[in-house]
Amino acid sequence: MQTLIQLGATALQIGAVYILFSLGLTLIFGVMRIVNFVHGHIFAVAALTVAYFLPSLVEGGLSAPIAYILASLAGIVAALGLGALIYLFGFRYFQRDLVGSFILSIGLVLLLDGVLLHVFGGAVRGVPEIFPGRVSIAGAQITVQRLFLCAVALVMAATLYWTLSHTKLGKALRAVSYDHEAAMMVGVPYSRIAFLGFMIASLLAAVAGVLLAPVTIVSPVIGTDYLIKGFIAVIIGGLGSVPGAILGSLFVASIETFGSYYLDSSYATLAIFGMVIIVLLFWPKGVLGRG
Amino acid sequence: MDKRINPGLFVLFAGGALLVSLLLQDFYLRSVLNLMAISALLASSLRFVMLMGELNFALAAFTGIGAYCAGYLNTALGVPFGVAVLSAGLVTALASAVFGAITLRAKGPYFLLIGFAFAEAVRVAYSKFDALGGTSGMIGIFPARALDDWMPFIVMSVVVLLLLAFYIAEHSDFGRILFAIRENEDVARSVGINTYLCKVVAISGACFAAGVAGGLHAFVNSVISPGDFSYLLAAFALAYVKVGGEDHFLGPIVGAILLVALSSYALGLGGDEHFLYGGAIIVAVLLMPKGVLGTLGKLRFLGNPFKRGVDANVH
Repeated sequence: MQTLIQLGATALQIGAVYILFSLGLTLIFGVMRIVNFVHGHIFAVAALTVAYFLPSLVEGGLSAPIAYILASLAGIVAALGLGALIYLFGFRYFQRDLVGSFILSIGLVLLLDGVLLHVFGGAVRGVPEIFPGRVSIAGAQITVQRLFLCAVALVMAATLYWTLSHTKLGKALRAVSYDHEAAMMVGVPYSRIAFLGFMIASLLAAVAGVLLAPVTIVSPVIGTDYLIKGFIAVIIGGLGSVPGAILGSLFVASIETFGSYYLDSSYATLAIFGMVIIVLLFWPKGVLGRG
Repeated sequence: MDKRINPGLFVLFAGGALLVSLLLQDFYLRSVLNLMAISALLASSLRFVMLMGELNFALAAFTGIGAYCAGYLNTALGVPFGVAVLSAGLVTALASAVFGAITLRAKGPYFLLIGFAFAEAVRVAYSKFDALGGTSGMIGIFPARALDDWMPFIVMSVVVLLLLAFYIAEHSDFGRILFAIRENEDVARSVGINTYLCKVVAISGACFAAGVAGGLHAFVNSVISPGDFSYLLAAFALAYVKVGGEDHFLGPIVGAILLVALSSYALGLGGDEHFLYGGAIIVAVLLMPKGVLGTLGKLRFLGNPFKRGVDANVH
C-alpha cells in the first residue's frame, strides 16, 4: 500500500510536467492544425537558460529562491522570444498545412539541436536545490521541490481551463479551433488569435522548462524525450482536446511509473507504445478527440 | 501524372550512375556514393507514401528492421549477402503491412505521430535483445569477399531497380489511386476503391524498399547500432524529398545527391550535420516550396516538365 501511494505520487509529479507539455501541443494543434515538433526545444531553451544563469547568480551572493526567480524570468523571456521568432518567420506561413508545417518544424529541430549544442555545450548541467526538504503525505515522501512543481502545473492548467471557458480570448480560441472560417466571419481576428495561442503554448512549455530544471539534469537534447511523451499523451487523449491532454498525460505518467517499478524503464516505454496502438484500434482519433 | 521521364533519359541516368559506381576506386568516394544511393532509395520510399498524402515517419523503424534482419541472418546464421538483403526486404514489408493495417485507420497527424512513436519504441526494443547486440549493436556484417570490389555497383544496381519499380508503380493505375486518395479519400471510396487496402499495400511496398535499403546499409557499413535508426533517419529522408522537390519523381534522388554531397563536404570542414540538414530544410520550405527541381522547372531549364497543378499540401 505504501508503495502504491508512493508510486501514485510519483506518477502525479511526472504527469504534471507532461500536462504542461501536452496542453501546449494540443492548443497549437487546435488553433493552427499543425504538429509542432519545436515545442521540445522551446522547453529546452527555458531549462538551459535557468541551468546556465542560476549557479553564477547563487555564487554572486543571491539567495537560492531569488536567484531561481530571476533565472526563471530570463528563461521564460528567452523561450517566448524563440517562440515569437519561429511563429513570425515560419509557422505563420504554414497554418492549416499539416505536412508543410511539420517539415518546417523538423528543419527547426535539427537547426536548433545544432545551435543549442554550440551555445550551451554538450555537457549536462546540475542545478542547485532551490527548496530543500521533503514532506510526507499519506505515507508518501515528496520533496518540496517537486511539490512546488505540481502546484504550479496545477495552477497553470486551471488558469488555462478558466481562460478557455470564461474569457473573450478563450472563446475566440475555442471558436477558431472548431471552425476558423466561421469564426473569422463573425469577426474573430484569426491571425492574432493564432499568434496568441502559439505564445500561450510556448509559455506553458517555458514554465515546464524552468520548473524541471532544478529536479533533473539539463542537457540540450532534454526536450525530445518530453516531446515524445507529450505527443503520445495527446494522441491517446485526442488532438485538440484539453481534457484529453490532461487525461492522456496522467495515463502515460502512470504507465511509465508503475511499469518502471515493476518491470524496467525500457519495457515501460514499450508498454506506452502498446497502449497507443490499443487506443488507436478503438478510437482512431483519440479517446476524447473530435474532427 | 503527366510528368513522365523520357525512357532514354532514364537509361542515361541509370547507366551513368552504374558506370560511376564501377569506375570509382577511391575508398572514401565509394562510401559517399553508397550513401547517396541508399539515401535516394529511402527518400523515394518516403515520397511514395507521400503520394497518398501520409508522412511515414515509421520509415526509420522499418529501415532498422531491415538492417537488423540482414545483420542477424548474416552474422548469426551465415546467410549470404543476396539472400539476407532480400529477406530483409520481405520481413520489413510484412512488418509494415501489420503496422499499416493497424495504424492506417488513423490519418494525418495521428498516423504521423504514431509512426514517430513506433520508431522510438522499436529503437528501444533492439537494445533489449542480446541477440541483436543490445545498445552497442551488431558488428562484422560482411558480404562474401569476392563481392567486396563490386559493392558500389551492386548497391547501385539494386537501388536503380527499386527506383524503376517505384516509377512504374507511380505511373500505373495503382499510382492514380494513391493520388485519388490524397485528393479526396471519401470520393475514391465512393467509386468502389478499397482505399484502406490500397494504403496498406502502398506502405508495404514502400517499406520493402526501406528494408532493402536497411540491409544494404548493414552490409556497406558492417556495423549497425540502435542509434542509427532514430527518427532523425526519417527527418533526413524528408530533407532529401523536400530539398529536391516532392512533386517530381527525381526530386528525392536529386535531394539525396545534393545533401549527401554537401554534408560530406561539411563534415570534412568539421561542420555539424544537424545544422546543415536543418538549414537546408528551412531554406527549402520557405524559399523553394517545390524544391530544387520545382525552382529549376519554373526557370524552364528543363522545358517545363512540371506543369501538373495539383497542390502538394494535404488537409
